[in-house]
Amino acid sequence: MARRRKSLAPKGRDDDVRIIAGFALGSILTAIMILVVVIAPPATIGPSEGELAPDFSTDAYSGANWENFRLSDSFDYEWNADEQGEWILIQFIDTDCPYCWTEGETMSSLHLQWSNDVEFITVAVELSISGHDSDRAEIEAFRDKTNYGTDDSDGNGCNSGRDNCINRPGTEHNWVYVEATSGIMSDWEITGTPFLAILQPDGYVAWNQYENMGESIEDAMERLVGGSQ
Amino acid sequence: MNEALTDPILLSFIASLGISGYYMTRDNFKTTSLLISSLLFAGIGIVSSSYTYIIHNKMVVQGTTSFCSSEGIVQCGSVIGDPTWNNLFGVPWGIFGIISFALLIYLSLSLYLDRHAKWAENYLQYSWWAGLVGLPFVALLVIIELTQVEGAPHICPFCTVAHISLIGYVLTIYYLKNNQMNGKWVDSE
Repeated sequence: MARRRKSLAPKGRDDDVRIIAGFALGSILTAIMILVVVIAPPATIGPSEGELAPDFSTDAYSGANWENFRLSDSFDYEWNADEQGEWILIQFIDTDCPYCWTEGETMSSLHLQWSNDVEFITVAVELSISGHDSDRAEIEAFRDKTNYGTDDSDGNGCNSGRDNCINRPGTEHNWVYVEATSGIMSDWEITGTPFLAILQPDGYVAWNQYENMGESIEDAMERLVGGSQ
Repeated sequence: MNEALTDPILLSFIASLGISGYYMTRDNFKTTSLLISSLLFAGIGIVSSSYTYIIHNKMVVQGTTSFCSSEGIVQCGSVIGDPTWNNLFGVPWGIFGIISFALLIYLSLSLYLDRHAKWAENYLQYSWWAGLVGLPFVALLVIIELTQVEGAPHICPFCTVAHISLIGYVLTIYYLKNNQMNGKWVDSE
């Protein structure tokens, strides 16, 4: 009868060390997470009230030319609630959206009242709707109220191509117009326009239009920022 | 000299990378040394990724950080602080690094604890492929640093430590695979 020979190949351990490795890794990850939360807890970023406004860096038009604009450059990170500071009114529009067309006048009047205490920023998005194609020339014309398109509802111009941009309600908007990217729209959860939000000087969202359907922007500005000029 | 390059934490990371490299070549690429080296590389990777995540959080909430320079070519501020490029689908790159290196640590630690287990050969393959999958992301991040971020080119030193850790890890796994194929999986005295 042949005798069974002892194998010369090294044999693994009887216990499954993968469980030990898993526990060790779990401990390492737990320690890392505790360390991160203690040293630099992550901020909740989003467009909802109480969240830190999503930052963006993209091209913007300020009346002369297109330059890089970064939202967080406007934040005063050391601002305290009992201090004066420059608040931020951010508006999302589509130059072809009829409601944005009429809101042009509201924005002009808000700027007239609060421009000393509030920085105005308009973000021009392009909604995926037929006839809502826009380019930089249209954004410039919408902001500056200059000649662009016709009033013949021929698809050429602002307000879904119904109007020449020079006829936009309100005055020239003397603040920065930002060209939106798909990333900005996604971060700000923009599904329709116009959309308004008021940011505290430190960049946290103080008022979100969708969360305050019963309160007008004028009332919100009055409540949050204070008396108008 | 660039301020960022004299940061004691960065110097500690560089020294750790040197130690990991030393372990890789020690004893003529013995399996045990290589396994220790892979663990060290993955460990440095997870710590440096965590550090970049901490810098990211500081940058987002405070707009600046004392943890890394924001001036010069070698700096973190313009790289980790860039809102367009400091994340992938909204998830900071540091989180991706932590998760990826955690997987590599698990694989290497399992191998280190029992290199003769039935699953060891598979785990070596998993380590190899997991490391390789990370390399295109390293290339992408280096391209972003050099061409895309505000004021490019920039080099984020702590990100580079994580990148080198991954490259070092892949190298150690390559030598481990060689050992396995050449019958040197069991260390000879």
